[in-house]
Amino acid sequence: MSKMFQRGQASITGIGELKPSLDAGGRTTLDLLGEAAGQAIKDAGLHKEDIDGLLVTPPSEDSYFLWPSQVAEYLQLSPVFMNMVELGGASAAGTIARAALLVDAGICKNCLCLSGGVWDKQVFNTREGKMAVMSQAEIDYDLPYGPMGFNSGYALIARRHISQYGTTPEQLAKIAVDQRTNAMLNPDALFNQKPLTVEDVLASPVIVDPLHLLEIVRPCSGAAAVIVSRLNNGSDQMHDPVTIWGFGEAYTHNSIIYAPSLTESPIKAAANRAFQMAGVNANDIDLVSLYDCYTITVLISLEDIGFCRKGEGGKFVQDTDLTYKGSLPCNTHGGQLSCGQTSFAGGMSHVTEAVRQLRGEAGPRQVGKNRLALVNGNGGVMSTQCCLILRRM
Amino acid sequence: MPDYKDIYWQKLATGKLWLQFCPSCQKFIFYPRGLCPYCLEPELEWTPASGQGKVHSYAIVNVSALPEFKEETPYIYAVIELAEGVKMPSNLIDCSLDKVHVDLPVELTFIERDGKTLPVFKPSEEA
Ligand SMILES: [Zn+2]
Repeated sequence: MSKMFQRGQASITGIGELKPSLDAGGRTTLDLLGEAAGQAIKDAGLHKEDIDGLLVTPPSEDSYFLWPSQVAEYLQLSPVFMNMVELGGASAAGTIARAALLVDAGICKNCLCLSGGVWDKQVFNTREGKMAVMSQAEIDYDLPYGPMGFNSGYALIARRHISQYGTTPEQLAKIAVDQRTNAMLNPDALFNQKPLTVEDVLASPVIVDPLHLLEIVRPCSGAAAVIVSRLNNGSDQMHDPVTIWGFGEAYTHNSIIYAPSLTESPIKAAANRAFQMAGVNANDIDLVSLYDCYTITVLISLEDIGFCRKGEGGKFVQDTDLTYKGSLPCNTHGGQLSCGQTSFAGGMSHVTEAVRQLRGEAGPRQVGKNRLALVNGNGGVMSTQCCLILRRM
Repeated sequence: MPDYKDIYWQKLATGKLWLQFCPSCQKFIFYPRGLCPYCLEPELEWTPASGQGKVHSYAIVNVSALPEFKEETPYIYAVIELAEGVKMPSNLIDCSLDKVHVDLPVELTFIERDGKTLPVFKPSEEA
Protein backbone atom coordinates (compact mmCIF):
# COMPACT_ATOMS: atom_id res chain seq x y z
CA MET A 1 0.00 0.00 0.00
CA SER A 2 1.22 3.46 -0.85
CA LYS A 3 2.08 5.89 1.89
CA MET A 4 -1.02 7.60 3.18
CA PHE A 5 -1.35 11.07 4.60
CA GLN A 6 -0.37 10.76 8.26
CA ARG A 7 -2.82 12.39 10.61
CA GLY A 8 -1.16 14.68 13.10
CA GLN A 9 2.04 15.45 11.18
CA ALA A 10 0.81 18.83 9.99
CA SER A 11 -0.45 21.40 12.47
CA ILE A 12 -1.66 24.96 12.37
CA THR A 13 0.86 26.82 14.55
CA GLY A 14 0.11 30.43 13.72
CA ILE A 15 -2.79 32.60 12.61
CA GLY A 16 -3.10 36.26 11.70
CA GLU A 17 -6.12 38.20 10.52
CA LEU A 18 -6.87 41.83 9.81
CA LYS A 19 -10.13 43.45 10.82
CA PRO A 20 -12.41 43.50 7.76
CA SER A 21 -12.93 47.01 6.41
CA LEU A 22 -14.96 48.76 3.75
CA ASP A 23 -12.01 51.00 2.96
CA ALA A 24 -8.49 49.60 2.70
CA GLY A 25 -7.10 53.10 3.23
CA GLY A 26 -5.05 53.10 0.06
CA ARG A 27 -3.26 49.87 0.88
CA THR A 28 -2.93 47.14 -1.72
CA THR A 29 -3.56 43.40 -1.46
CA LEU A 30 0.21 42.91 -1.03
CA ASP A 31 0.26 45.33 1.91
CA LEU A 32 -2.65 43.55 3.59
CA LEU A 33 -1.07 40.13 2.99
CA GLY A 34 2.19 41.29 4.54
CA GLU A 35 0.50 42.58 7.67
CA ALA A 36 -1.46 39.35 8.17
CA ALA A 37 1.67 37.26 7.52
CA GLY A 38 3.61 39.20 10.15
CA GLN A 39 0.89 38.52 12.71
CA ALA A 40 0.83 34.80 11.93
CA ILE A 41 4.62 34.41 12.10
CA LYS A 42 4.63 36.14 15.48
CA ASP A 43 1.70 34.04 16.68
CA ALA A 44 3.61 30.88 15.74
CA GLY A 45 6.74 32.00 17.56
CA LEU A 46 8.67 31.80 14.30
CA HIS A 47 10.94 34.13 12.34
CA LYS A 48 10.33 35.08 8.73
CA GLU A 49 13.39 33.02 7.75
CA ASP A 50 11.64 29.88 9.07
CA ILE A 51 8.95 30.13 6.34
CA ASP A 52 9.89 27.65 3.60
CA GLY A 53 6.54 27.23 1.84
CA LEU A 54 4.16 29.82 0.39
CA LEU A 55 0.62 29.13 -0.81
CA VAL A 56 -1.39 32.16 -1.87
CA THR A 57 -4.92 32.76 -3.07
CA PRO A 58 -5.40 35.09 -6.07
CA PRO A 59 -5.21 38.88 -5.76
CA SER A 60 -8.35 40.96 -6.15
CA GLU A 61 -6.98 43.97 -8.04
CA ASP A 62 -3.39 43.15 -9.09
CA SER A 63 -2.36 41.04 -12.06
CA TYR A 64 -2.50 37.25 -11.45
CA PHE A 65 0.71 36.87 -13.42
CA LEU A 66 3.38 35.09 -11.35
CA TRP A 67 1.37 36.06 -8.29
CA PRO A 68 3.22 33.79 -5.80
CA SER A 69 6.45 35.29 -7.05
CA GLN A 70 5.06 38.82 -6.67
CA VAL A 71 4.10 38.04 -3.07
CA ALA A 72 7.45 36.41 -2.27
CA GLU A 73 9.33 39.44 -3.60
CA TYR A 74 7.16 42.00 -1.81
CA LEU A 75 7.59 40.17 1.50
CA GLN A 76 11.17 39.02 0.78
CA LEU A 77 10.45 35.33 1.27
CA SER A 78 12.55 32.54 -0.28
CA PRO A 79 10.35 29.45 -0.10
CA VAL A 80 11.45 26.04 -1.38
CA PHE A 81 7.93 25.55 -2.75
CA MET A 82 5.20 28.00 -3.68
CA ASN A 83 1.97 28.11 -5.63
CA MET A 84 -1.32 29.92 -6.15
CA VAL A 85 -4.51 28.07 -5.28
CA GLU A 86 -7.56 29.19 -7.27
CA LEU A 87 -10.74 27.47 -6.10
CA GLY A 88 -12.82 30.61 -5.65
CA GLY A 89 -14.19 30.77 -2.12
CA ALA A 90 -12.64 27.36 -1.38
CA SER A 91 -9.14 28.67 -2.18
CA ALA A 92 -8.27 29.49 1.44
CA ALA A 93 -9.29 26.06 2.76
CA GLY A 94 -7.52 24.63 -0.29
CA THR A 95 -4.22 26.22 0.76
CA ILE A 96 -4.48 24.49 4.16
CA ALA A 97 -5.05 21.05 2.60
CA ARG A 98 -2.13 21.56 0.21
CA ALA A 99 0.13 22.89 2.96
CA ALA A 100 -0.67 19.80 5.02
CA LEU A 101 0.41 17.63 2.08
CA LEU A 102 3.67 19.57 1.65
CA VAL A 103 4.45 19.32 5.35
CA ASP A 104 3.47 15.65 5.53
CA ALA A 105 5.68 14.87 2.54
CA GLY A 106 8.63 16.58 4.22
CA ILE A 107 8.95 19.26 1.54
CA CYS A 108 8.23 22.15 3.92
CA LYS A 109 8.59 22.71 7.64
CA ASN A 110 6.55 25.89 7.90
CA CYS A 111 4.18 26.71 5.08
CA LEU A 112 2.58 30.16 5.01
CA CYS A 113 -0.98 30.19 3.63
CA LEU A 114 -1.90 33.73 2.64
CA SER A 115 -5.18 35.17 1.51
CA GLY A 116 -6.62 38.63 1.13
CA GLY A 117 -7.87 41.35 -1.15
CA VAL A 118 -9.02 44.91 -1.56
CA TRP A 119 -12.65 45.48 -2.41
CA ASP A 120 -13.32 48.05 -5.11
CA LYS A 121 -16.93 49.21 -5.35
CA GLN A 122 -16.22 50.85 -8.72
CA VAL A 123 -15.32 47.51 -10.27
CA PHE A 124 -17.67 45.23 -8.35
CA ASN A 125 -21.01 46.57 -9.57
CA THR A 126 -20.27 46.83 -13.27
CA ARG A 127 -20.61 44.60 -16.29
CA GLU A 128 -16.79 44.27 -16.27
CA GLY A 129 -16.86 43.27 -12.60
CA LYS A 130 -19.45 40.58 -13.34
CA MET A 131 -17.57 39.35 -16.41
CA ALA A 132 -14.32 39.10 -14.45
CA VAL A 133 -15.76 36.16 -12.51
CA MET A 134 -17.45 34.44 -15.48
CA SER A 135 -16.21 31.65 -17.72
CA GLN A 136 -16.35 32.19 -21.49
CA ALA A 137 -19.30 29.78 -21.63
CA GLU A 138 -21.14 31.96 -19.10
CA ILE A 139 -20.31 35.13 -21.03
CA ASP A 140 -21.54 33.55 -24.29
CA TYR A 141 -24.65 31.66 -23.21
CA ASP A 142 -25.66 33.03 -19.78
CA LEU A 143 -24.86 36.74 -19.57
CA PRO A 144 -27.40 37.66 -22.32
CA TYR A 145 -30.17 36.65 -19.88
CA GLY A 146 -29.18 39.09 -17.14
CA PRO A 147 -27.91 36.81 -14.37
CA MET A 148 -26.94 38.72 -11.22
CA GLY A 149 -23.65 36.97 -10.60
CA PHE A 150 -23.62 34.79 -7.55
CA ASN A 151 -26.94 36.21 -6.33
CA SER A 152 -28.95 34.63 -9.13
CA GLY A 153 -27.01 31.34 -8.93
CA TYR A 154 -27.72 30.86 -5.24
CA ALA A 155 -31.30 32.09 -5.75
CA LEU A 156 -31.83 29.17 -8.17
CA ILE A 157 -30.65 26.77 -5.45
CA ALA A 158 -32.80 28.36 -2.75
CA ARG A 159 -35.89 28.39 -4.98
CA ARG A 160 -35.50 24.72 -5.89
CA HIS A 161 -34.92 23.76 -2.24
CA ILE A 162 -37.99 25.73 -1.12
CA SER A 163 -40.09 24.12 -3.84
CA GLN A 164 -38.78 20.58 -3.38
CA TYR A 165 -38.68 20.40 0.41
CA GLY A 166 -40.94 23.17 1.72
CA THR A 167 -38.08 25.10 3.27
CA THR A 168 -39.33 28.47 4.50
CA PRO A 169 -37.86 31.99 4.29
CA GLU A 170 -38.06 32.10 8.11
CA GLN A 171 -35.86 29.00 8.43
CA LEU A 172 -33.23 30.44 6.08
CA ALA A 173 -33.33 33.77 7.92
CA LYS A 174 -32.64 32.01 11.25
CA ILE A 175 -29.11 31.19 10.01
CA ALA A 176 -28.28 34.90 9.59
CA VAL A 177 -29.88 35.64 12.97
CA ASP A 178 -27.81 33.05 14.89
CA GLN A 179 -24.62 34.16 13.18
CA ARG A 180 -25.34 37.75 14.16
CA THR A 181 -25.71 36.65 17.78
CA ASN A 182 -22.16 35.29 17.47
CA ALA A 183 -20.90 38.44 15.76
CA MET A 184 -22.16 40.59 18.64
CA LEU A 185 -19.24 39.12 20.62
CA ASN A 186 -16.71 39.67 17.83
CA PRO A 187 -15.24 43.19 17.92
CA ASP A 188 -13.73 42.62 14.46
CA ALA A 189 -17.05 41.90 12.74
CA LEU A 190 -18.25 44.48 10.21
CA PHE A 191 -21.82 44.07 11.47
CA ASN A 192 -21.94 43.83 15.27
CA GLN A 193 -23.83 46.99 16.15
CA LYS A 194 -27.18 45.32 16.82
CA PRO A 195 -28.69 41.85 16.93
CA LEU A 196 -30.92 40.65 14.10
CA THR A 197 -34.37 39.09 14.20
CA VAL A 198 -35.98 36.83 11.62
CA GLU A 199 -38.37 39.72 10.95
CA ASP A 200 -35.43 42.05 10.24
CA VAL A 201 -34.05 39.65 7.65
CA LEU A 202 -37.40 39.15 5.94
CA ALA A 203 -38.07 42.91 5.98
CA SER A 204 -34.80 43.61 4.13
CA PRO A 205 -35.11 44.15 0.37
CA VAL A 206 -35.52 41.07 -1.83
CA ILE A 207 -32.54 41.54 -4.15
CA VAL A 208 -32.99 38.42 -6.25
CA ASP A 209 -36.08 36.51 -5.16
CA PRO A 210 -35.94 34.49 -2.90
CA LEU A 211 -32.77 36.08 -1.46
CA HIS A 212 -33.07 39.00 0.98
CA LEU A 213 -30.31 41.55 1.39
CA LEU A 214 -29.45 40.32 4.90
CA GLU A 215 -28.93 36.77 3.57
CA ILE A 216 -26.27 37.99 1.16
CA VAL A 217 -22.63 38.48 2.02
CA ARG A 218 -21.13 41.98 1.99
CA PRO A 219 -17.80 42.17 0.12
CA CYS A 220 -15.03 44.13 1.84
CA SER A 221 -11.24 44.31 2.23
CA GLY A 222 -9.00 42.27 4.48
CA ALA A 223 -6.45 39.50 4.76
CA ALA A 224 -5.70 36.41 6.80
CA ALA A 225 -2.66 34.17 7.21
CA VAL A 226 -2.23 30.66 8.58
CA ILE A 227 1.01 28.79 9.14
CA VAL A 228 1.00 25.01 8.75
CA SER A 229 4.02 23.39 10.40
CA ARG A 230 5.62 20.04 10.89
CA LEU A 231 5.64 18.93 14.51
CA ASN A 232 8.92 19.88 16.19
CA ASN A 233 9.45 22.78 13.81
CA GLY A 234 12.00 24.31 16.15
CA SER A 235 9.82 27.18 17.34
CA ASP A 236 8.86 28.09 20.86
CA GLN A 237 5.26 27.15 20.26
CA MET A 238 2.97 29.50 22.08
CA HIS A 239 -0.26 27.59 21.55
CA ASP A 240 -1.56 24.06 21.58
CA PRO A 241 -1.05 22.88 18.02
CA VAL A 242 -4.23 22.32 16.02
CA THR A 243 -3.63 19.41 13.70
CA ILE A 244 -5.08 18.87 10.25
CA TRP A 245 -6.78 15.58 10.99
CA GLY A 246 -8.34 15.06 7.59
CA PHE A 247 -9.41 16.83 4.42
CA GLY A 248 -11.46 16.11 1.33
CA GLU A 249 -12.33 17.92 -1.85
CA ALA A 250 -14.94 17.46 -4.57
CA TYR A 251 -15.95 19.13 -7.82
CA THR A 252 -18.90 18.49 -10.14
CA HIS A 253 -19.45 21.70 -12.10
CA ASN A 254 -18.33 25.26 -12.67
CA SER A 255 -21.60 27.02 -13.53
CA ILE A 256 -24.57 25.98 -11.36
CA ILE A 257 -26.72 25.69 -14.53
CA TYR A 258 -24.89 22.47 -15.42
CA ALA A 259 -24.61 21.00 -11.90
CA PRO A 260 -25.94 17.45 -11.54
CA SER A 261 -28.29 18.75 -8.83
CA LEU A 262 -29.22 22.17 -7.51
CA THR A 263 -29.99 20.93 -4.01
CA GLU A 264 -27.32 18.24 -3.48
CA SER A 265 -23.84 19.65 -3.63
CA PRO A 266 -20.34 18.16 -3.93
CA ILE A 267 -19.91 19.02 -0.23
CA LYS A 268 -21.31 15.56 0.50
CA ALA A 269 -18.41 13.82 -1.25
CA ALA A 270 -15.83 16.27 0.11
CA ALA A 271 -17.03 15.79 3.70
CA ASN A 272 -17.16 12.01 3.33
CA ARG A 273 -13.55 11.99 2.13
CA ALA A 274 -12.50 14.20 5.04
CA PHE A 275 -14.37 12.03 7.56
CA GLN A 276 -12.79 8.89 6.13
CA MET A 277 -9.28 10.34 6.36
CA ALA A 278 -9.89 11.60 9.90
CA GLY A 279 -11.62 8.42 11.06
CA VAL A 280 -14.55 10.38 12.52
CA ASN A 281 -18.11 11.22 11.55
CA ALA A 282 -20.52 14.14 11.84
CA ASN A 283 -21.56 13.11 15.37
CA ASP A 284 -17.99 13.62 16.61
CA ILE A 285 -17.78 17.25 15.46
CA ASP A 286 -17.93 19.90 18.21
CA LEU A 287 -18.20 23.00 16.04
CA VAL A 288 -18.39 23.96 12.39
CA SER A 289 -17.11 26.82 10.24
CA LEU A 290 -19.16 26.69 7.06
CA TYR A 291 -18.60 28.91 4.05
CA ASP A 292 -21.50 31.34 4.17
CA CYS A 293 -21.80 33.54 1.12
CA TYR A 294 -25.60 33.14 1.54
CA THR A 295 -27.86 31.54 4.14
CA ILE A 296 -28.80 28.79 1.66
CA THR A 297 -25.11 27.82 1.40
CA VAL A 298 -25.03 27.02 5.12
CA LEU A 299 -28.28 25.06 4.96
CA ILE A 300 -27.11 22.92 2.04
CA SER A 301 -23.75 22.39 3.80
CA LEU A 302 -25.41 21.15 7.01
CA GLU A 303 -27.46 18.65 5.01
CA ASP A 304 -24.66 17.44 2.79
CA ILE A 305 -22.16 17.05 5.64
CA GLY A 306 -24.75 14.86 7.34
CA PHE A 307 -25.97 16.83 10.36
CA CYS A 308 -29.49 16.16 9.11
CA ARG A 309 -31.09 14.41 6.17
CA LYS A 310 -31.43 15.94 2.73
CA GLY A 311 -34.42 18.25 2.66
CA GLU A 312 -34.64 18.55 6.45
CA GLY A 313 -32.16 21.41 6.75
CA GLY A 314 -34.92 23.97 7.22
CA LYS A 315 -36.38 22.20 10.22
CA PHE A 316 -32.88 21.46 11.53
CA VAL A 317 -31.79 25.11 11.62
CA GLN A 318 -35.17 26.12 13.06
CA ASP A 319 -34.77 23.63 15.95
CA THR A 320 -31.00 23.93 16.48
CA ASP A 321 -29.20 26.72 18.31
CA LEU A 322 -26.34 27.52 15.93
CA THR A 323 -24.78 30.13 18.23
CA TYR A 324 -21.62 29.65 20.30
CA LYS A 325 -23.89 28.54 23.19
CA GLY A 326 -25.76 26.00 21.13
CA SER A 327 -25.60 22.29 20.40
CA LEU A 328 -23.92 22.85 17.03
CA PRO A 329 -21.95 26.09 17.13
CA CYS A 330 -21.70 27.37 13.55
CA ASN A 331 -19.61 30.30 12.33
CA THR A 332 -18.95 31.54 15.85
CA HIS A 333 -17.15 34.65 14.56
CA GLY A 334 -20.38 35.68 12.87
CA GLY A 335 -19.40 34.19 9.53
CA GLN A 336 -18.96 36.22 6.42
CA LEU A 337 -22.62 37.23 6.69
CA SER A 338 -21.79 39.35 9.76
CA CYS A 339 -18.00 39.85 9.42
CA GLY A 340 -17.98 40.74 5.72
CA GLN A 341 -16.43 38.80 2.88
CA THR A 342 -12.79 39.84 2.73
CA SER A 343 -12.28 38.68 -0.84
CA PHE A 344 -10.53 35.29 -0.89
CA ALA A 345 -9.70 35.69 2.82
CA GLY A 346 -13.38 35.35 3.69
CA GLY A 347 -12.86 31.61 3.44
CA MET A 348 -9.77 31.83 5.64
CA SER A 349 -11.84 33.43 8.42
CA HIS A 350 -13.55 30.06 8.83
CA VAL A 351 -10.15 28.45 9.45
CA THR A 352 -8.84 31.12 11.83
CA GLU A 353 -12.04 31.06 13.90
CA ALA A 354 -11.95 27.27 14.20
CA VAL A 355 -8.33 27.50 15.37
CA ARG A 356 -9.23 30.13 18.00
CA GLN A 357 -12.04 27.93 19.28
CA LEU A 358 -9.90 24.78 19.38
CA ARG A 359 -7.15 26.66 21.24
CA GLY A 360 -9.72 28.00 23.71
CA GLU A 361 -8.88 31.59 22.71
CA ALA A 362 -12.28 32.73 21.45
CA GLY A 363 -12.96 34.90 24.51
CA PRO A 364 -16.62 35.63 25.33
CA ARG A 365 -17.80 33.52 22.38
CA GLN A 366 -15.74 30.45 23.35
CA VAL A 367 -17.64 27.20 22.87
CA GLY A 368 -17.73 24.56 25.61
CA LYS A 369 -16.66 21.44 23.71
CA ASN A 370 -13.70 22.20 21.48
CA ARG A 371 -11.79 19.10 20.45
CA LEU A 372 -12.85 18.65 16.82
CA ALA A 373 -13.88 21.25 14.24
CA LEU A 374 -15.08 20.91 10.67
CA VAL A 375 -14.32 23.73 8.22
CA ASN A 376 -15.82 23.87 4.75
CA GLY A 377 -14.67 26.11 1.94
CA ASN A 378 -17.04 26.59 -0.99
CA GLY A 379 -16.28 28.34 -4.26
CA GLY A 380 -18.34 29.51 -7.21
CA VAL A 381 -21.96 28.44 -6.92
CA MET A 382 -21.46 25.26 -4.88
CA SER A 383 -18.76 24.45 -7.45
CA THR A 384 -15.51 23.84 -5.57
CA GLN A 385 -15.46 22.22 -2.15
CA CYS A 386 -12.66 21.74 0.35
CA CYS A 387 -13.58 20.24 3.72
CA LEU A 388 -11.06 20.26 6.59
CA ILE A 389 -11.22 18.45 9.91
CA LEU A 390 -9.11 20.13 12.59
CA ARG A 391 -8.30 18.61 15.98
CA ARG A 392 -6.77 19.95 19.15
CA MET A 393 -4.05 17.58 20.32
CA MET B 1 -14.94 32.22 -33.71
CA PRO B 2 -14.86 28.41 -33.58
CA ASP B 3 -17.22 26.60 -35.98
CA TYR B 4 -19.49 25.31 -33.26
CA LYS B 5 -20.23 28.79 -31.91
CA ASP B 6 -20.77 30.04 -35.43
CA ILE B 7 -23.30 27.29 -36.21
CA TYR B 8 -25.17 27.85 -32.95
CA TRP B 9 -25.59 31.62 -33.50
CA GLN B 10 -26.31 31.27 -37.22
CA LYS B 11 -29.16 28.84 -36.56
CA LEU B 12 -30.53 31.22 -33.93
CA ALA B 13 -30.39 34.10 -36.40
CA THR B 14 -32.82 32.09 -38.56
CA GLY B 15 -35.12 31.49 -35.57
CA LYS B 16 -33.99 27.96 -34.70
CA LEU B 17 -32.35 26.45 -31.64
CA TRP B 18 -30.06 23.59 -32.59
CA LEU B 19 -28.28 21.32 -30.16
CA GLN B 20 -25.18 19.20 -30.50
CA PHE B 21 -25.64 15.43 -30.21
CA CYS B 22 -22.97 12.78 -29.65
CA PRO B 23 -23.82 9.67 -31.68
CA SER B 24 -21.61 7.36 -29.63
CA CYS B 25 -22.88 8.56 -26.23
CA GLN B 26 -26.43 9.14 -27.54
CA LYS B 27 -26.51 12.32 -25.53
CA PHE B 28 -27.41 15.92 -26.27
CA ILE B 29 -24.91 18.59 -25.31
CA PHE B 30 -25.35 22.15 -24.09
CA TYR B 31 -23.44 24.51 -24.39
CA PRO B 32 -21.76 24.03 -27.80
CA ARG B 33 -18.28 22.56 -27.68
CA GLY B 34 -15.49 21.36 -29.93
CA LEU B 35 -15.87 17.83 -28.59
CA CYS B 36 -18.19 15.63 -26.59
CA PRO B 37 -17.55 16.24 -22.87
CA TYR B 38 -18.51 12.64 -22.05
CA CYS B 39 -16.32 10.64 -24.47
CA LEU B 40 -14.06 13.48 -25.74
CA GLU B 41 -14.72 12.54 -29.38
CA PRO B 42 -14.80 15.57 -31.72
CA GLU B 43 -17.40 14.18 -34.15
CA LEU B 44 -20.74 15.72 -33.12
CA GLU B 45 -24.04 16.02 -34.96
CA TRP B 46 -26.36 19.05 -34.94
CA THR B 47 -30.09 18.63 -34.51
CA PRO B 48 -33.05 21.00 -33.97
CA ALA B 49 -34.30 21.18 -30.40
CA SER B 50 -37.90 20.09 -29.74
CA GLY B 51 -38.50 23.42 -28.01
CA GLN B 52 -40.28 21.74 -25.10
CA GLY B 53 -39.00 21.95 -21.55
CA LYS B 54 -39.75 22.85 -17.98
CA VAL B 55 -38.53 25.35 -15.42
CA HIS B 56 -35.93 23.53 -13.32
CA SER B 57 -35.60 26.59 -11.10
CA TYR B 58 -35.87 30.35 -11.39
CA ALA B 59 -34.85 33.60 -9.77
CA ILE B 60 -36.74 36.87 -9.95
CA VAL B 61 -34.19 39.62 -10.42
CA ASN B 62 -35.34 42.79 -8.66
CA VAL B 63 -31.97 44.54 -8.63
CA SER B 64 -29.66 44.26 -11.63
CA ALA B 65 -26.18 45.71 -11.97
CA LEU B 66 -26.26 45.18 -15.73
CA PRO B 67 -27.14 48.52 -17.39
CA GLU B 68 -29.31 47.01 -20.16
CA PHE B 69 -31.39 45.11 -17.58
CA LYS B 70 -32.02 47.97 -15.13
CA GLU B 71 -35.22 48.95 -16.94
CA GLU B 72 -36.33 45.31 -17.22
CA THR B 73 -36.61 44.52 -13.51
CA PRO B 74 -38.27 42.50 -12.19
CA TYR B 75 -37.53 39.77 -14.71
CA ILE B 76 -37.35 35.99 -14.53
CA TYR B 77 -33.95 34.39 -14.93
CA ALA B 78 -34.37 30.63 -15.13
CA VAL B 79 -32.64 27.34 -15.70
CA ILE B 80 -34.67 25.40 -18.25
CA GLU B 81 -34.49 21.63 -18.54
CA LEU B 82 -35.12 20.78 -22.19
CA ALA B 83 -36.96 17.62 -23.23
CA GLU B 84 -33.60 16.49 -24.66
CA GLY B 85 -32.26 16.28 -21.10
CA VAL B 86 -29.90 19.25 -21.17
CA LYS B 87 -30.20 22.36 -19.03
CA MET B 88 -29.69 25.91 -20.23
CA PRO B 89 -29.91 29.38 -18.70
CA SER B 90 -32.64 31.59 -20.15
CA ASN B 91 -35.42 34.04 -19.44
CA LEU B 92 -39.07 33.22 -18.94
CA ILE B 93 -41.22 35.76 -20.78
CA ASP B 94 -44.97 36.33 -21.10
CA CYS B 95 -45.37 34.90 -17.62
CA SER B 96 -46.66 36.82 -14.61
CA LEU B 97 -44.52 36.58 -11.50
CA ASP B 98 -47.25 34.81 -9.55
CA LYS B 99 -47.68 32.15 -12.23
CA VAL B 100 -44.09 30.94 -12.43
CA HIS B 101 -43.19 27.81 -10.47
CA VAL B 102 -40.63 25.03 -10.43
CA ASP B 103 -41.45 22.37 -13.07
CA LEU B 104 -43.72 24.73 -15.04
CA PRO B 105 -43.92 23.36 -18.63
CA VAL B 106 -42.48 25.88 -21.08
CA GLU B 107 -41.89 26.21 -24.80
CA LEU B 108 -39.26 27.87 -26.90
CA THR B 109 -39.62 31.31 -28.40
CA PHE B 110 -37.16 33.98 -29.48
CA ILE B 111 -36.34 37.59 -28.70
CA GLU B 112 -33.95 40.12 -30.19
CA ARG B 113 -31.50 41.59 -27.69
CA ASP B 114 -28.26 43.45 -28.29
CA GLY B 115 -28.38 42.59 -32.01
CA LYS B 116 -28.67 38.86 -31.32
CA THR B 117 -31.53 36.40 -31.56
CA LEU B 118 -31.82 34.67 -28.20
CA PRO B 119 -33.73 31.51 -27.31
CA VAL B 120 -36.11 32.24 -24.41
CA PHE B 121 -39.14 30.42 -23.03
CA LYS B 122 -42.80 31.08 -22.28
CA PRO B 123 -45.41 28.96 -20.48
CA SER B 124 -46.63 26.09 -22.71
CA GLU B 125 -50.00 26.47 -24.41
CA GLU B 126 -51.32 23.45 -22.50
CA ALA B 127 -50.15 24.81 -19.13
ZN1 LIG C 1 -19.70 11.27 -26.51
